[in-house]
Amino acid sequence: MDWSKQLGRYVLVMALQVLLFDQLQLWGACHPYVYIMCLLMMPITLPHSVDMIIGAIVGLIMDIFCNSLGIHIASCILLMFIRPYLIGSIVNDKDRLNEQISLRAIGMEAMLKYVVILVLVHHLAVFSLAAWSWHHIGFVLLETIVSSIVTILIIIGYNAMSYK
Amino acid sequence: MQTLIKILLRYSNFLVFIALEVAAFMLISLNNAYPRSSLLSTANEFVAWQHKQIHEISGYFSLRSQNERLAEENAALRNQICAMDSAEHAHSIHYQNAKVVQMSTDQLHNYLTIDRGSIDGIKRGQGVRNEDGVVGIVRTVGRHYSVVLPVINTYTNISCRFIKNDYIGTLQWDGKDNRFAQLADVSSHMVVNPGDTIVTSGLSPVFPEGIPVGTVEKSVLKEGDSYYTIRVRLYTDFKRLKYVEVVQNADQNELEELTNGLE
Repeated sequence: MDWSKQLGRYVLVMALQVLLFDQLQLWGACHPYVYIMCLLMMPITLPHSVDMIIGAIVGLIMDIFCNSLGIHIASCILLMFIRPYLIGSIVNDKDRLNEQISLRAIGMEAMLKYVVILVLVHHLAVFSLAAWSWHHIGFVLLETIVSSIVTILIIIGYNAMSYK
Repeated sequence: MQTLIKILLRYSNFLVFIALEVAAFMLISLNNAYPRSSLLSTANEFVAWQHKQIHEISGYFSLRSQNERLAEENAALRNQICAMDSAEHAHSIHYQNAKVVQMSTDQLHNYLTIDRGSIDGIKRGQGVRNEDGVVGIVRTVGRHYSVVLPVINTYTNISCRFIKNDYIGTLQWDGKDNRFAQLADVSSHMVVNPGDTIVTSGLSPVFPEGIPVGTVEKSVLKEGDSYYTIRVRLYTDFKRLKYVEVVQNADQNELEELTNGLE
């Protein structure tokens, strides 16, 4: 397992999130949080609690940039908590999880299931925590669906590009 | 005892999860209720500096329209000087100009970051306006940067009045459209017409009286309601906001001390 490569991807993806994706204010409901790609692609080799703490740190950095202290932290911890159980139920061959989770390692069908579910959970958590009331439920759902589609396309696209 | 330790070990991951989530939710609720730390927001030096760089680059693409707006503003200011009656203007109010370095306009809780901080005399609770009208209220102050809660944030409340009859209402935002806000607390016995002008009330020291806010777009009085639902078209165009002015009221501290003493 190449940790310097993982760290490099964290820096790159989070810089892209802040410099590019956070600046997009196109359709009013589209706020893709592509930075969770590096959390999603981490191999399942670390202890579960360490995984969750990494999620909390990544969330804190995003919160500082988004003026939303706590919201990304809570969502990323949730994401990292669900992750091992979900991947365990999707992929039967545990040896494949020792390297980074990618299209190459687990195949298209499993990767799609994995990414779609976790992106939806994370985005729903972020937008509903930001709204903090049932009053905006319609907008929250619209925001979740539109933003999730964009995030999923970018993550799967990145994986497909590095597949060759 | 051993079984207890076994159980704790077995569910240790879940316990870590719960502990971390509780901490995160405490941060969220603290952040909603109290002034946020300037280190953990976009008033943070590095974060604001980074936003400023991006803004500087994207600023080049709107130079022409900014120039036109500045020319218009110059003309308007010249007119104001001619019409100014110095006796009417309170000397305690000072305007500090500032540049917007970061802004969101399409979320429920929008914020903007400006390039003035505590060393420029910015304090929490000061009003922010631009040449068109009200922008928002300073929320967090860093050394060189501050975060402003704009009108288009569902947390914001600003006291306003109708220019035609001095009737008071509260300006709020429903989170939907950044061109419109809502005026609450206007009783049903009032007559409200589309086109009525709304300005700040001057009842709080945040804004002086009479800063333009917007005009009534639509007012609805539902059967049985004792308050109007009023949609206000804002004068400030948040999508094009580049320069703002912070209202520094020398009497603000004294006024706040007086009201705090009453509570």
